[in-house]
Amino acid sequence: MNMIVTKALVRFSLAGAVALGLGVSANALTTEEILNYKGADRDKILTEGAKKEGQIIFYSAMIVNQALRPVAEGFMKKYPFLKATYWRGDSEDIAAKLTAEIRANNLVADVVEGTGVGEMVIQSGLVQPYYTPVINEFPEKYRDPRNLWTPTRLSYFGVAYNTRLVKPEDAPKTYEDLLDPKWQGKLSWRIGSASGTPLFITNVRMSMGEDKARDYFDKLAKQKIVNFGSGSARTLVDRVMAGEYPLALNIFAHHPLISKAKGAPVNTALLDPVPTTAATMVIPKGVKRPHAAMLLVDYILSVEGQKVLAQAEYFPARLDVPPLDTIAGVVPRNAKVQENFVGSEDLNKYTESSEAIFQEKFR
Amino acid sequence: MSQMASGAAVTTAIEAAYVAPRRGPRYSIPVIVLSAILLVLILPPTIFLIKVSIYTTRPDGAFGELTLKYYQQLFASRFFVSALVNTTIYSIGSAVIAIGLGTMQALIVERTNTPGRRWVLLGAIISLGIPGVLYTVSWLLILGRSGPLNSVIENITGVKAALNVYSMWGMTLIEGIHFVPLTYLMMSAVLRGTDASFEEASMMSGAKPLRTFWKITLRMGLPGVMALLLLVFIRAFESFEVPALVGLAGNINVLTTNIYQSSKGSGAMDYGQSGAYSVCLLVIVAGLLVWYSRLSKNAHQYQTITGKGYRPRVMNLGKWRYATSALLAVIFLLVTGLPLIMLVFTSLQPFYEGVTADSFRRFTLENYRVLLGPGSFRDSIWNTLVMGASVSTFVVPFTALCAWLAARRKPGGWVLDQIATAPLVFPAIVLSVAFLYVFVNLPIPLYGTLLSVILASSVRYMPYGMRYAYAGILQIHRELEDASSSSGAKQASTFMRIVLPLLAGSLVSAWLFIFLLSVQAVSLPLLLVGPGTEIVAVTLFDLWQNGQVTELASMGVVWVSLMVVVSAIFHVVTRRYQVMAG
Repeated sequence: MNMIVTKALVRFSLAGAVALGLGVSANALTTEEILNYKGADRDKILTEGAKKEGQIIFYSAMIVNQALRPVAEGFMKKYPFLKATYWRGDSEDIAAKLTAEIRANNLVADVVEGTGVGEMVIQSGLVQPYYTPVINEFPEKYRDPRNLWTPTRLSYFGVAYNTRLVKPEDAPKTYEDLLDPKWQGKLSWRIGSASGTPLFITNVRMSMGEDKARDYFDKLAKQKIVNFGSGSARTLVDRVMAGEYPLALNIFAHHPLISKAKGAPVNTALLDPVPTTAATMVIPKGVKRPHAAMLLVDYILSVEGQKVLAQAEYFPARLDVPPLDTIAGVVPRNAKVQENFVGSEDLNKYTESSEAIFQEKFR
Repeated sequence: MSQMASGAAVTTAIEAAYVAPRRGPRYSIPVIVLSAILLVLILPPTIFLIKVSIYTTRPDGAFGELTLKYYQQLFASRFFVSALVNTTIYSIGSAVIAIGLGTMQALIVERTNTPGRRWVLLGAIISLGIPGVLYTVSWLLILGRSGPLNSVIENITGVKAALNVYSMWGMTLIEGIHFVPLTYLMMSAVLRGTDASFEEASMMSGAKPLRTFWKITLRMGLPGVMALLLLVFIRAFESFEVPALVGLAGNINVLTTNIYQSSKGSGAMDYGQSGAYSVCLLVIVAGLLVWYSRLSKNAHQYQTITGKGYRPRVMNLGKWRYATSALLAVIFLLVTGLPLIMLVFTSLQPFYEGVTADSFRRFTLENYRVLLGPGSFRDSIWNTLVMGASVSTFVVPFTALCAWLAARRKPGGWVLDQIATAPLVFPAIVLSVAFLYVFVNLPIPLYGTLLSVILASSVRYMPYGMRYAYAGILQIHRELEDASSSSGAKQASTFMRIVLPLLAGSLVSAWLFIFLLSVQAVSLPLLLVGPGTEIVAVTLFDLWQNGQVTELASMGVVWVSLMVVVSAIFHVVTRRYQVMAG
């Protein structure tokens, strides 16, 4: 009797141990470990796991037709067992939506991409570090030592000018040129966005140093710059094209070139150094489909993924994928001017005080 | 006038005679049920609004400590007084323009035999179908420094850029004109329900048409005019698009742009200032509503749909009808024609640089090819139509019932009016974020569905339905309903069989108006809709953000055509319904 009970008990516990063991091997990796897995079988583990997850949801600020849709289609072609859906909003919208989801413990997004959203959610501690081997293909300065973000596309900033109203030889070439009295009342810039006035001010502070920058802003304020309040940077370029403002500061340097290629009277002037920022990809805390998320990150950073972005008139963050010829002229290394990369750390450090300088001097 | 006054006196006496003893219960069940529904919909975002204004928001979206700093900042800003003055001038100015032009249109269409009057409705629908940003932009293109108007002036007088649209008059004019279709639709609903026999009496007593309009028609429509004034004034007070696009560029600050400038720069999610501003607005609006409800306390003076045949007859203007026809044409040109021409012109350009000689050589259909090819526009149309139709179909009957209970002073009915009007003061972004938090936290899986967008949009457009229905109901004389209830009909069937059919004219306009507004909204649906569910707003937003103005214009053209078809179908259907009901 005793024996039987013991045997049964042993058998029972053995079965239990086996079951447990199986369980452990299936769940061997925590989400954190999956996101940072470096082993040789990384591809295999991610693919197997993603098969079980079955789908991936991506929030991004990229435009739908030229970028998001082709990215999703290319990704699904590569991984037919995954259904990729996306939601598009601008960075503030993405941050609001993501914050609400995480706080309500109702997370929908697996991967999030945008130009300012990374800084916002990193600052609020809503993201977790991840590792992808593809990042080694990127220049050192576009990488995050904390592994919180990876760069998807770059933005260069310059001056847009109307070629009917401003001759190319008269266009400003340095920051000092902007102080010329002939530009008084003719300059405009975009307010209400971190990539507008605060970025311009931050770039000047970083390159000139605080004291010289202060003097510079005092002089620049005398130029009575028009504060353009609504619409994106791109819409400000449209106003320059339409002749409403002769010049616009700190616009995305490639926008005028795209219109110029169609025959519009507009062009870009680069000032030395050119402020450069990166749109970034982050993974939210509590991500539900970590395997699929990592596959998507790998894909977007791959040569194939970066080529899709290049086709959509973005600047790939990889040096081995060239941008379209029409816009390649404003890449600082092509134009032989300095680039000042303002990373997410710098943005977090400077943006608030730069905004304060704007409020004090330019309103 | 004396006829009307004595008529009113008689009705008052009659009402006093039998209303007084019927001091019924202090509550009524429909009012309680409707209030409950409204509160469930409106309370969560309102609480969010108030909390946002009195707590700091931490970067992770949580509320921090209690603070009054947003209110202090609001009042202490060195621009506060000038912004307040500007806002007031701007709001009153645009309300006057909108109501002036809209009323003129409505009077001519509803009361005279002016040739071509049937086309005004079409014009209104077209201008309502033009996406808001585009409407503003096309006016800026017309009046801008390099626009056609300034070129004409330069050719005649030699003065360069004589008109500066980036100014107070520019803002007021554009905002005012933008609201003309709304005021026209509302005023014509009011007039359609107004008994013309007073006007006929006035004409027969020898008054000229203009004098009759001024002395009789306008005054009888007073509740409608007041409702409109309230609506347009509040809208202008909290409007952002026109002040930002037009005013900021000319350094003219109003309160909304003031807040935008001081709080949105860093890109952090901090809605404190706009929350504080909205709370202040909420208080102002509540005050205005109380005043308005005092005014309509004497509303029986305006009840003109009585038991007699009430269908208004048109006035024969004789030779003058050509003058009014010309007037209609001018208004049409202002409100619809010019922006539409600009829209079509822009949609045929590869890029926009104003109306220049070169631009006429560059016509292309490329934008339409891109738009109608595979892509988000085609995918999103169906979702958007379903959303717009659901919102209208829910809001219109619902607010008609609320407005009836409120206008008839059922116990507690005024509460309905207050609650249903409150969403008017929510800035779109605050309302979006508030609803985002509501839906994402609900235990039922509503978050990310089209239904959540429909619910939120219904709340947003509730005030419009309310004002439309209220103005219409005030004109229906109580005797009709009393006849119904003394014949033994219950409240419900009185509402269904007497009130609703009499209101049909107003309700059709309201349905169309709300439909056209809700399908164009950008920020509210954008935050609520889930991945994979595309709506037109996303495309609109994409195109606007990317500065694809020419593609945006082509989308506007396609969209407008679609809206015209929708409203045509709608009209055919309602006409058939009216025939059947009659």
